[in-house]
Amino acid sequence: MSAVLRQSGAWPARIAVFAYPLAFILFPLAAFLAYSFFWTEHGTMSYALTLGNYQRFFTDPVFLPVLWQTCVLCFEVAILTILAGYPVAYFLAGLKGRKRYVLLMLMLVPLLMSYVIKIYAIRSILGGNGVLNRTLIWLGVIDDPLTFFVFNLNAVLLTLTVLLIPFAVLPIFLSLERIPRNLIDASADLGASAAQTFLRVILPLSLPGVVTALTFVFVLAIGDFLTPQMVGGQSGFTFGRIIYSQFGTAFNWPFGAALSVILAIMVIGAIAIGTVFGRDRSAGR
Amino acid sequence: MIRDSKTPYWLVGITGLVFILLYGPIFVPIASSFFALKQGVVDWQQPTASAYVTLVSNEGILVALRNTLVVGGAAVVCSLILGIASALYVNSGRSKDRALLQFIIFLPFLMPPIITGLALLIYFREIEFDRSLVTVIIGHTVFVLALVYRTLLVRLQSLSRSLVEASYDLGASGWQTFRYVLLPNLTSAMIGAGILAFALSFDETMITLLVTGTDNTLPIRLWAMMRLGFTPDINALVAVILAFTTLLCLLAARYLMPRES
Repeated sequence: MSAVLRQSGAWPARIAVFAYPLAFILFPLAAFLAYSFFWTEHGTMSYALTLGNYQRFFTDPVFLPVLWQTCVLCFEVAILTILAGYPVAYFLAGLKGRKRYVLLMLMLVPLLMSYVIKIYAIRSILGGNGVLNRTLIWLGVIDDPLTFFVFNLNAVLLTLTVLLIPFAVLPIFLSLERIPRNLIDASADLGASAAQTFLRVILPLSLPGVVTALTFVFVLAIGDFLTPQMVGGQSGFTFGRIIYSQFGTAFNWPFGAALSVILAIMVIGAIAIGTVFGRDRSAGR
Repeated sequence: MIRDSKTPYWLVGITGLVFILLYGPIFVPIASSFFALKQGVVDWQQPTASAYVTLVSNEGILVALRNTLVVGGAAVVCSLILGIASALYVNSGRSKDRALLQFIIFLPFLMPPIITGLALLIYFREIEFDRSLVTVIIGHTVFVLALVYRTLLVRLQSLSRSLVEASYDLGASGWQTFRYVLLPNLTSAMIGAGILAFALSFDETMITLLVTGTDNTLPIRLWAMMRLGFTPDINALVAVILAFTTLLCLLAARYLMPRES
């Protein structure tokens, strides 16, 4: 088999390996891109090319503000996960031997747990009658349930942050781990205090990891529609949720496709920016 | 980077807090699944296993469970076959089409799942392929292929080239080399990647939600139930699924972790 595969001119082998990815990855994406230039009216599809969907996106007063709001939200999520994740990554990178890999594994295990279950669990904590409000009332901190985190954009922000922290820890940990020990020793030998060593040596060298983390979290947050659907309530509208509704209640597939293309462009843009500023050959995947 | 000066307490504190944030929430449904629910409030005085009993007798959930296992199994088999073929092909030389193949395989992992799901949804409608468990299997295979391919490629690249050359020198055919030299060396990576792929498929929700017809998988069923509220049988189901996923993770880690020498 590998002898066949060795010769790059072997067409049967090439067709065999390309068939599935072409048929079920590239063609669907192409169909999807094409769809964004079609239009639909009262349930009938028209395959005449139009820029109408994009025009609607840019002129309708609803969509641009929601996109902007979603970007801000996802950026805030990214910042929060980094604020929480950096100290953890720093702590893990400072551990020795087995302990740090066990802890790192424990940090990553929640990623393999069902996404829906995690959202559901956080939802049971955040609700008006949820665990958090009950505990606060029981402790006597507050008299009436707090509402600022109950099924609105703040709830989406908190939930996404908790869900995505591991994605921030991993790249930062990898970049911290790669800092040569002797650089830190040299800094100490030259009389720098621990704080100076951190600010002048460790922090700058770990920035590529931070940028990668920022990109990861942003991209994952902006494409999510389950979280806002579940904890966003009436007011917590995000771009992903609007796209999803085009394929459900609104039933306008071409427009939904156009919105998704815009989402894809945002994601590609974020990854491109992340790659340029996070030049760190192997952090992340 | 390894420090030897002692770690400040606040750093330990923040790390502990983050772990509580990550693990704390999932214990709420697990703990409350063992207690009775009265007017939407968990009665901590009344331990009961009744939620688990109702769960086993719930037809819909059992069907969803069977669907999930079928989809997971099929997606693992498909992605392993495709993953191994693509990894062998990409590893066998350098060319533009190899880079292109790798790029296409990685696309569904780079793009948000909503885009992969919607693209498949539109595509299936256009080629008039009815949505069923088959479309779900295709969607899951697309999603986990990147991971399986990557794991197998890394393992292939770590094998010495001379292994294959020696095999050819000793007169083995291409197939024999694959069967008796490469495959045994790939087994643990295949098992690890397979388990991981199964775990991902088991929990996959966003793509499934878009490409499924009337068939439910467990996460979809769960999603539908959750929108109605907080009930003991959801909690019991959550506890069972979490126990299962944790088991899968431990298994995958056993096969994929580098052996300590």
